[in-house]
Amino acid sequence: MRATGLVKRFRGEVAVAGVDLEVGSGGHVALLGPNGAGKTTTLFMLLGVVTPDAGSVDLVGYRLPEGRTAALAQVGFAAGYLPLAERMRVREFLRMYADLYGVARPTAAIDDALERFGIGHLASSLGTELSSGQRTLVGIVKATLHRPRLLVLDEPTASLDPEVAMRVRQGLLDLARTDGSTLLITSHDMSEVEKLCERVVFLAHGRVVADGTPARVTASFGRSGLEDVFLHLAAAQPPRADPDATGRTDRFS
Amino acid sequence: MSQSQLVTGRQWWGDWAKSRRRILAIARRHAYVLKRSPHRLFDVTVWPLVDVLLFGSLGVFVSRHSGNGSIAFAYLLSGIVLWHVVYQSQIALSTGLLEETWSRNLLNLMATPMTELEYVLGVMLFGMVKLAMGVGVAALTAFGFYAFNVTNVGWQILPVVAVLLTVGWVIALFVIGIVLRFGSGAEALAWGILFIVMPLSGIFYPIQALPWVLRPIAIALPTTHAFAAGRALLVHRSLEWGQVGIAAVGTLALLVAALMFVVAMLSLFRKRGYITRYS
Repeated sequence: MRATGLVKRFRGEVAVAGVDLEVGSGGHVALLGPNGAGKTTTLFMLLGVVTPDAGSVDLVGYRLPEGRTAALAQVGFAAGYLPLAERMRVREFLRMYADLYGVARPTAAIDDALERFGIGHLASSLGTELSSGQRTLVGIVKATLHRPRLLVLDEPTASLDPEVAMRVRQGLLDLARTDGSTLLITSHDMSEVEKLCERVVFLAHGRVVADGTPARVTASFGRSGLEDVFLHLAAAQPPRADPDATGRTDRFS
Repeated sequence: MSQSQLVTGRQWWGDWAKSRRRILAIARRHAYVLKRSPHRLFDVTVWPLVDVLLFGSLGVFVSRHSGNGSIAFAYLLSGIVLWHVVYQSQIALSTGLLEETWSRNLLNLMATPMTELEYVLGVMLFGMVKLAMGVGVAALTAFGFYAFNVTNVGWQILPVVAVLLTVGWVIALFVIGIVLRFGSGAEALAWGILFIVMPLSGIFYPIQALPWVLRPIAIALPTTHAFAAGRALLVHRSLEWGQVGIAAVGTLALLVAALMFVVAMLSLFRKRGYITRYS
């Protein structure tokens, strides 16, 4: 995956100010930074959901937006803050995504993916019957159904208890080891990042301010750990309007 | 056939098979929504029943107190049955997208290989099922309570139904474009916009009955000509091909405009990052 010179402004406010990011096959990379640093906007541009004002994105060998369909067939996406589609059972929901991704043997793939994350017993549950942690797990299962080459996870374990979060990390690492999948993750849990990723990219003010192994980035800021680096950057970044809020204010009235 | 043509043919067939699977997946998703939301059945069962009872009874009343009552009765019943073709196809498509916004499923869908066209076709496909249910209930009610049989006219009704079905989709595409641009606040249009089109289309009466100032607008609407053709067929048993032709051309022009509008709004949606409203 290669992003070059990504720029995004919302109503004149710069959300992403020239991000260059390259992730090689099989890499495990965390995109970090305080709220409003531009992480989610960057992820959305990488997925083709938001069009950059400038710059380009090449995803698994395809240039966006022209190659979006071919590229996204090999990309999985899950976000801890997204609920399950309502009025569907877990198996029905996963079957829909198996069909959207063109999974060859959907029933077996769904069973495998559910077992990988230890939630086979939830297959017949309705989305509304699940806890928020269980819904997050189903979302991650959905993202891994088609054994993607690139897995993009936005705050994947934000609503999970430590035991389930550990299970998720294990499942992701197993999948990455078996399939050689590339992981691109955003998280506010620095200990999780250190367990999952061999490389971290810090964003602040929409720019990449550090890129390297957790140890090297920590050392370059003269701090004791990633959490310390995070707090240092958060303190240096003045609060600003979240791009989300920009969208939400523009309502029909 | 050359090797390259064979490869291209196989590629096309493979792409179509994937595309068809995605379309069916979306249609099935909306079937689950209808199955597990009894209140959604109101649109396809209760409203057609209530509408036909209301306008059918009004027609009976008028027919008993007027010299030319049987025509009014036929106009009212044929109008409401045909109206449900527009209503059901419009509501099915526009609420299809709204369903994704209500359940915050839009981001998940946009991060898959599915194209926007495949999504729309999937919703339209299940919309046809809802259309069959809604119009079926309307037709059965008209027959059961008022002995008004819409199937008497035979296949000639199909061009009229096709035009009205497409008009419903066109209106839904405009609603989708507005929702993409302005967000969920615009969703009231999904239901409301039809009630602007309804009186102007002369679904129960010839447009000469409208105030003169509104007649030019009525003439410009393809629905006016489709209803005129449908009414002539149901009441006088003759299809006015001229009216169907005008309606078809108008609908086609509006369809092109609606598609261009949706594509422009979708581009704006991606450019301005409006997905954050639903994530």
